[in-house]
Amino acid sequence: MSHIYMPHQMEITEIIDETPDTRTLKLVFKDEGVRESFSFKAGQFGLFSVYGAGECTFDICSSPTWKDHIECCFRKVGKVTSALWRLEQGDLVGFRGPYGNWFPVDEFKGKNIVFIAGGIAFPPIRGVLWNCVDLRDQFKDITIVYGARTVSDLVYKYELEEWEKRDDVSLVKTVDPGGETPDWDGKIGFVPTVLEQAAPSSENAVALVCGPPIMIKFTLPVLTKLGFSDDRIYSTLENRMKCGVGKCGRCNIADVYVCKEGPVFTAEQMKVLPPEY
Amino acid sequence: MEHRTLAGDGLPALIDELIKKGMRVIAPTQRNGDLAFGQVSSSAEAVLDYFLCKRSAKEIVFPRTEAILGFDRSGGEVKVEPPSMQFPETVVVGARPCDAASLPILDHIFTWDCDDELFTRRREATTVIGLTCTTADNFCFCTSVGLSPDNTAGSDILLTQLEDGQFFVEVVTDKGEKLAAELGELFREGGDESARQKAGEKARALVTRSVDVSKAKGWLDDHFDDEMWESWMTCLGCGACTFVCPTCHCFDIVDEVQGLSGHRCKNWDACTFWHFTVHASGHNPRDVQYKRYRQRILHKFRYYKDRFGVTLCTGCGRCSRHCPVGIDIAEVLETAAGSAAS
Ligand SMILES: Cc1cc2nc3c(=O)[nH]c(=O)nc-3n(C[C@H](O)[C@H](O)[C@H](O)COP(=O)(O)OP(=O)(O)OC[C@H]3O[C@@H](n4cnc5c(N)ncnc54)[C@H](O)[C@@H]3O)c2cc1C
Ligand code: SF4
Ligand code: SF4
Ligand code: FES
Repeated sequence: MSHIYMPHQMEITEIIDETPDTRTLKLVFKDEGVRESFSFKAGQFGLFSVYGAGECTFDICSSPTWKDHIECCFRKVGKVTSALWRLEQGDLVGFRGPYGNWFPVDEFKGKNIVFIAGGIAFPPIRGVLWNCVDLRDQFKDITIVYGARTVSDLVYKYELEEWEKRDDVSLVKTVDPGGETPDWDGKIGFVPTVLEQAAPSSENAVALVCGPPIMIKFTLPVLTKLGFSDDRIYSTLENRMKCGVGKCGRCNIADVYVCKEGPVFTAEQMKVLPPEY
Repeated sequence: MEHRTLAGDGLPALIDELIKKGMRVIAPTQRNGDLAFGQVSSSAEAVLDYFLCKRSAKEIVFPRTEAILGFDRSGGEVKVEPPSMQFPETVVVGARPCDAASLPILDHIFTWDCDDELFTRRREATTVIGLTCTTADNFCFCTSVGLSPDNTAGSDILLTQLEDGQFFVEVVTDKGEKLAAELGELFREGGDESARQKAGEKARALVTRSVDVSKAKGWLDDHFDDEMWESWMTCLGCGACTFVCPTCHCFDIVDEVQGLSGHRCKNWDACTFWHFTVHASGHNPRDVQYKRYRQRILHKFRYYKDRFGVTLCTGCGRCSRHCPVGIDIAEVLETAAGSAAS
C-alpha cells in the first residue's frame, strides 16, 4: 500500500546546458514496469524532486511520441532547482506525474498551428511542437515564433538550427533590442511586435502561446488583431503548485484547480478567471 | 438504528473499556497548559466537561506534519521508503459537533478525483463519538452554516446529556452501530427521545449569533472586487486562523533533513501567508494581504460550495477567537450579507 505523493525513481541519463542558468535533463525510469507503462500527453507536467531538497513543478518538455525517456528543462532559481543543478549523470531524481490537462493535439489535425514562446517558457511549447512535427502530415502549416531577452537566453539553440533547415516548418526567432550579438541572424524586437510583422494567417489556425506574463499580455491583442478568436488561442498557467493532484489548495484560481483543469487553458477560459495568475 | 442510553457517570467507563479493547482513544486532554485532542491512556486524562479545544480535531486525520516518505543516503545511493500505511483503530471521544462535522466536509477535497490515502486510511480507522454542546460563546455560529450544537454530521455516535444526567446514545452510522454493539454492556437499550429533543432545543438556544450565509454567498458570488476587502487589510497573515480551523486544509510538501537521511513531509500551510502563491519569478498573484484574506473567505463560502456543494466552515468560531487583530469571520459574513441587502 502506497499513496499518491510517492514518486517514481528516475535516473539522469544526460545533462544538456542550455543557457548559463538553464539546463535540460534526460530521464529514464529505474523501474522497468513503469518505463513500459508510462505515457503522457503534451502539455502535462510533473513534480521532480531531489531527496533532501524537495519537489518542484516542471513541464515534461519532451514529446509523448518519444518512448524511451522524458525530458525537463529548468532554470536555477531557488532551493530545489539549485540542488537539481548539482546532480550528475547517473544520479536519482524523484518524479510524480504526469499531472494536469494537455494541448488537444487531436483537435489540431488538419489545421495550421502557430507556436509562440518567450524565454525559458519554451519547454511547454517544445513538447507539443515535437509532438506535432513527429506527426507532421496530420497538420497544415507550422510556424514558430520564439524570442528571448538576449541570444544567450535562447534555449534549444541546436534545435533552432534544425528547425531553420527544415522546409516543413517556418521559424521566426528574435531577441529583444540590445540582446543581439554581431553574428545574430534572427530578428531584433519583442515577440509581440515580431509576431505582428510575421502575420501568420488565422485562417483554419490555432495559436499556442507560452511566456512570461508580460509577453502574454501584449501577445494576446496581436493575435486578436490577426483574427484568432479566444477559443483558438492556448496558453499555460504557472500558478505555484505543491501537490499537483488537487488537494493542497496552492494553485487555485476561484474554484479552478490549475493543477487539474490546467495548466493548459484557452484565452477564452482565462478571461473569465479572476486575475489571480 | 437502535438508540441506547448511557448512565450519567458512564463516560469514564466507556473510555477505559475502549482502551481495554486495545483501541487508541483520543479525547480532549491537557497538553502544555492547553486543552488538545490527544491519546489518553486512561479516562482520568480525558477532560469532557469542556467548551472547545484550542486546535480542532482535524489533526486526527490530517496531522500538522506527517512523513510521506523517508530517504537515506548513508549507503551511497539514496534509498527511498514509503511510510507505514497501517493506522491503528482509533476512537475519538467527546468531539464537539463542529469538530465532527469537519470530517465529512474534508472528505470532499481528499477524495475527489483521486484519494489521498494518508487521509482516507486514517479516516477509515477512526470512529467518532460526538458530544452535544453545553456552552457556547458569541463567536459560535454553527446554526448559520446548517449545523447545530447537537448535530450528528461526522459523528458515528452522538452523546447528548439529558436533563436527568443520563446520556442519550444516538447511533448514526454503521461504524457507530458496530462500536455500540461491542460496548453492549455499558449501554441500556432504547432512549428517551422526547428528552433528547428537549436537550437539543436547549443546546441550540445557546447559539445566539446568526448570519444569513446564503445571502452572504450571493454577494460574494459577484463581488470579487469590492472596497469591502480592503477594510480587512488589518490581517497580519499570521496563519493562526487556518491552523486552528477544522476545515482549512492547505498544505505544503517539504523535505526535512537530519544528516544523510530525512523525510519528505506534508505540513499544514496557510493561504494567508504572503509567500503562499509567490512564483519563482517573484511575481505574486495575491500581492497584498487583503487578497490573501479574501481567498480564505471566498474559498470557504463560495468556491468550495460551488465545487463540492458544502460550505467549508462549521461555524466553530475558532478563527475569530484566536485572531490577534480581532477579525471576526461572522462579522465579515454579516457585512457581506448586509451589502447584499442594500
Ligand atoms: C505548471 C508549471 C510548470 C512549470 N514548468 C517549469 C519548467 O518547465 N521549467 C522551469 O524552470 N520552471 C517551471 N516552473 C516553475 C518552477 O516550478 C519553479 O521555478 C520551481 O519550483 C522553483 O523551485 P525552487 O525550489 O528552486 O525555488 P524556491 O526556492 O522555492 O523559490 C524560488 C523563488 O521563489 C520565490 N519564493 C518561493 N517561496 C518563497 C518564500 N517562502 N519566501 C520568499 N520567496 C519565495 C522567491 O522569489 C525565490 O527566489 C513551472 C511551474 C508550474 C506551476
Ligand atoms: S488570524 Fe487574523 S491576522 Fe492572522 S491570518 Fe487569520 S485573519 Fe489574518
Ligand atoms: S472558518 Fe473559522 S468558524 Fe469556520 S470552521 Fe474555520 S475556524 Fe471555525
Ligand atoms: S497544486 Fe495542490 S491543489 Fe493544485
